[in-house]
Amino acid sequence: MGANLFSNYGEVVSVILFVIGFGNLLLQSNLIKKIIGLNIMDTAIYLFLAEKGYIEGRIAPIVVDGIQDMETYINPIPSGLVLTGIVVSVSVSALMLSITVRLYQRYQTLDLDEINIRLLKEGQ
Amino acid sequence: MDFAQNFPAVSILLCLFAGIISSGLKKKAARFVSMTLIIVVSFLSLWTLFYTIRTGQAFVYVMGKFPAPWGNEIRAGVLEAFMALFFCIIMLLSLEGGRKKLADEVEEGKTFLYYVLSDLLLSSLLALVYTNDLFTAYVFVEINTIAACGLIMIRQNGRTIKASARYMIMSLLGSGLFLMGLCMLYDLTGHLLMSNIKEQAALIYSSGEYRIPLLIVIALMSVGLAIKSALFPFHAWLPDAYGYSTVSSAAILSSLVSKGYIFLLIKIIYRVIGFDIFNSSKIINILFVFGLMGMIFGSLSAIRENDVRRMISFSSVAQIGYIYMGIGMGTQAGIAASMFHILSHAATKSLLFIAAIGLTDVSGGSRKFIELTGAAYRNKWAGAAFTVGSLSMVGVPMFSGFISKLLFAQAAVQNNVKMLPALIVLGISTILNAIYFMKTVIRIYTPPDNGKYESITFKDMRSYTIILIFFILLNVILGVSSQPVVDLIGQGLAMFS
Amino acid sequence: MYFVFSIFFPILAGIYLLVRKEVKDRRNLLITVAGALAVTAVLVVLTFFQSGPGMFTLFNLTDRLPLLFKADEVSVIFSIMAVLVFLCAGVFSFEYMKHEKTDGTMSKESHMKEKRYYGFYLVVLGVVIALCFAGNLITFYLFFEILTLSSMPLVLHNGSREAVMAGLKYLFYSLSGAYMSLFGLYFIERYGNTLTFSEGGVISAQAASSHGGILLLTAMLMLVGFGVKAGMFPMHAWLTTAHPVAPAPASAILSAVIVKAGVLAIVRVVYYIFGVSFLKETWVQTVWMVLSLLTIFMGSMLAYREPVLKKRLAYSTVSQLSYILFGLSVMNAGAVTGSLLHVLCHGFIKAALFLCAGAVIYMTGKTKVEELRGIGKEMPLLMWCYTIASLGLIGIPPTGGFISKWYLAEGALSSSMAGFNWIGPVILLVSALLTAGYLLPVTIYGFFPGADFDYENLRKKEPSRLMTIPVLVLTAISVLIGLFPEGVIDYLSRIVVKIM
Repeated sequence: MGANLFSNYGEVVSVILFVIGFGNLLLQSNLIKKIIGLNIMDTAIYLFLAEKGYIEGRIAPIVVDGIQDMETYINPIPSGLVLTGIVVSVSVSALMLSITVRLYQRYQTLDLDEINIRLLKEGQ
Repeated sequence: MDFAQNFPAVSILLCLFAGIISSGLKKKAARFVSMTLIIVVSFLSLWTLFYTIRTGQAFVYVMGKFPAPWGNEIRAGVLEAFMALFFCIIMLLSLEGGRKKLADEVEEGKTFLYYVLSDLLLSSLLALVYTNDLFTAYVFVEINTIAACGLIMIRQNGRTIKASARYMIMSLLGSGLFLMGLCMLYDLTGHLLMSNIKEQAALIYSSGEYRIPLLIVIALMSVGLAIKSALFPFHAWLPDAYGYSTVSSAAILSSLVSKGYIFLLIKIIYRVIGFDIFNSSKIINILFVFGLMGMIFGSLSAIRENDVRRMISFSSVAQIGYIYMGIGMGTQAGIAASMFHILSHAATKSLLFIAAIGLTDVSGGSRKFIELTGAAYRNKWAGAAFTVGSLSMVGVPMFSGFISKLLFAQAAVQNNVKMLPALIVLGISTILNAIYFMKTVIRIYTPPDNGKYESITFKDMRSYTIILIFFILLNVILGVSSQPVVDLIGQGLAMFS
Repeated sequence: MYFVFSIFFPILAGIYLLVRKEVKDRRNLLITVAGALAVTAVLVVLTFFQSGPGMFTLFNLTDRLPLLFKADEVSVIFSIMAVLVFLCAGVFSFEYMKHEKTDGTMSKESHMKEKRYYGFYLVVLGVVIALCFAGNLITFYLFFEILTLSSMPLVLHNGSREAVMAGLKYLFYSLSGAYMSLFGLYFIERYGNTLTFSEGGVISAQAASSHGGILLLTAMLMLVGFGVKAGMFPMHAWLTTAHPVAPAPASAILSAVIVKAGVLAIVRVVYYIFGVSFLKETWVQTVWMVLSLLTIFMGSMLAYREPVLKKRLAYSTVSQLSYILFGLSVMNAGAVTGSLLHVLCHGFIKAALFLCAGAVIYMTGKTKVEELRGIGKEMPLLMWCYTIASLGLIGIPPTGGFISKWYLAEGALSSSMAGFNWIGPVILLVSALLTAGYLLPVTIYGFFPGADFDYENLRKKEPSRLMTIPVLVLTAISVLIGLFPEGVIDYLSRIVVKIM
């Protein structure tokens, strides 16, 4: 078990990062910190994918001098997934940031709990 | 290849194009495009439905030129086509029913954006329903989230922005978990297409290896989707989001968006993990327990609520609990009951939101119970529609809610362990439902003290009234002639495997 | 197929009244209502002469659950009782409802309110008849729920806070009860041969032996659940809150007819779904007997202590209904005959008593028993009716109540349950004494107010004929049953032979 963890250190690191990001997104009350958490979480997943997609000793699947044996290349799909995922997470982060800006303009604070309290005071 | 096989892909693309075109159009034109789009897509879905019923099997449509293990696919069976049709109908009714309110609550120059977002939402819903590729599903889950967030936020006030922030945060947590599960599953099986993953998953499972990773994958995916569909205790964002956004958004969000995720979960259970593997994991017990808790705590919160819109929102939490209870029972019948409840709840909840807005509008815009006294006399059709919706929620025969309760109970008696908790909680939650819905119905039919009611005439609100009548009909049809629908669901679930 | 018309005619008539825009003339409204009631009564009575069992499938809710109507002897006696009481109480309310107008004027609004009352009144009648003719459990359950919902506006009629609270209490108790029985429906659908009511039960012998325990539990739940409507302990509290707040004619039908829906439900469940052979001498029977005896005693005691006349009558309903339930729980021929006869007698008598109470309120505004001194001198005809009806409820010959209680006691004595064959009759006797104790003081002080009564200001306050005739008719029927019981007993024993 321990040896497995050590040999798969890339996956272990990415899962730890995922948990850190998840925790930040869930528990931080500051919106900006939440967004940072979100990005850590997403990046952790991309790291996981990239780690899984790379096979030691193989080359990128770009045909230079004739198609060689299948064992030569790595699987390109995880890289494609990472790219797609980055696009998605960029747009989501942008939306979150815009919401944050709106909230800041209204309440001059980034603290979600604080905003909650103000809203309760505001009443209906 | 038959002509009808193009329709699912075409309808998704149409929605995307309509969204792009609408972003350059004026308000009226955007609305026209959107309505036409929904009607066209309904017809395409109807055609697909008839096609699949006639051929008796699901078909696969290859997107692009690459064949099965590498390319991207769309797959349509009876259930998918039916869900697409149903989503279109509810979307059309909700948009039209809340149109007047939309004009009041959204800035004049931004109304066209509303239709852009709703087109996008429809496209992502259709994609979730039809896709056969797990990663495509993830991408459209995110598009769905973004569009839904826009629909909440388009009415600009502090509460909706905060609600959408919280909605985004919860959704992102959910989709993060889902994506992680998806990546692990890809790592385990080496495929992204649902059918291929299922074959590999069955092989892995029977070989006895990787049991724990598979369990983690199941847990991540189902918890991720459960968070996104607001299963108790992840429902904190829901009352504000449904309660303060404009009414069409509330109706669409509660009856379509959360249902889209649940449908995806059911698809994953059948088409990705495999029904037996999913059931042998302990995850379904967790879903079952949280479903039961949601049924009770959602209703309890609704009883305490003093605001009619928020009360209906909390009732959604309870109803989502029903659906997860059905999934958690671990039987075919349980999932069929959940599917029926998805339909019945979608029809009822959007009806309730739309009817509630009619009632609050004639009560000086206030949503407090005390102000609603006698509202049903002021707006007769809204009162009648609200009553129908309430009766359906409480589970009075002849309305759709009764059939879904009956199906849940029939599913429950087949499972010896989960029978008693399921039936008891069904009973408690029925009574709790009765408490808050009947309280409201009595309130709106109590004559007000000052005795004067300015009745709204039919002419003033013709389109609104017609929408309400359609909703009532939909509810009664689901309640009275449920057998064809139940058969269709059974047929569709059989096509999943 | 007359009975199908008798179900839908009043419902449609009621809905027509409810959706009608306005009422110009009160007279027209009353003629419409009277006409609808009379037509329904004729339609129901016609079913009595119908030969052979009629079956009618309305449509299929799902492919295994048809909505089915069926006419048998039980439906006939319950529906005839219901329609007669509705007719009398309806005529009574023509006069009585003048009193419910808040400001005394005949404004348009008060017409609307009255129209609403009659609308729901007719709908409730249709639903009650539908319950009588319901041919399977799902149809029964459907109309049972509709009965709760459509009779609630009668409780809510005057719109006061008290009425709303009572209405809510009624709703929650009824819905909880209905859910308990729905719970049973799920099981019977699984383990029974069919949901259609059939004499001797539908539980297959195999299911009875393999799942006996859970089926007995189901039976108990259904008994308690449907028992809510019949005011059986422990779910009786709604009855005494909800019945008295309604207008008097509505209380009469609530107390005389609508609670019988619960009794009918129990008859159907015990004798037509589970069957005597399955339930006899099980713990369910024991618990049921204990509960019903407890309710008889407790209802009488509470009625004895209650100062407000209408509430006293409501408690009396709790107690008298449990006579019926006790008779059913004994499960032998004599007791069941007595129960079914008591269904008829109690229906007519309790309606008459509530209408008397209503007439007193209408003429004098007095509600408490102690205020009624000398009432017999003011309205002698009415109080004579009250007295005769009371004697019937106590069980003194020659009224119908005597015959039914005789059969009940005889059945109880020959009960096969050890212990109950003596404790049952004793409690029946004690409760009869208590019944005399809570009903007769009104008569005694009414006719013999004592020497210090102020005879100077005494004026005749006999109400109009619209009020006295219904009371007279109901009282007369209850006496006639006592004088000529053979026909009815014959008819009932035919039912009993079939179902035992």
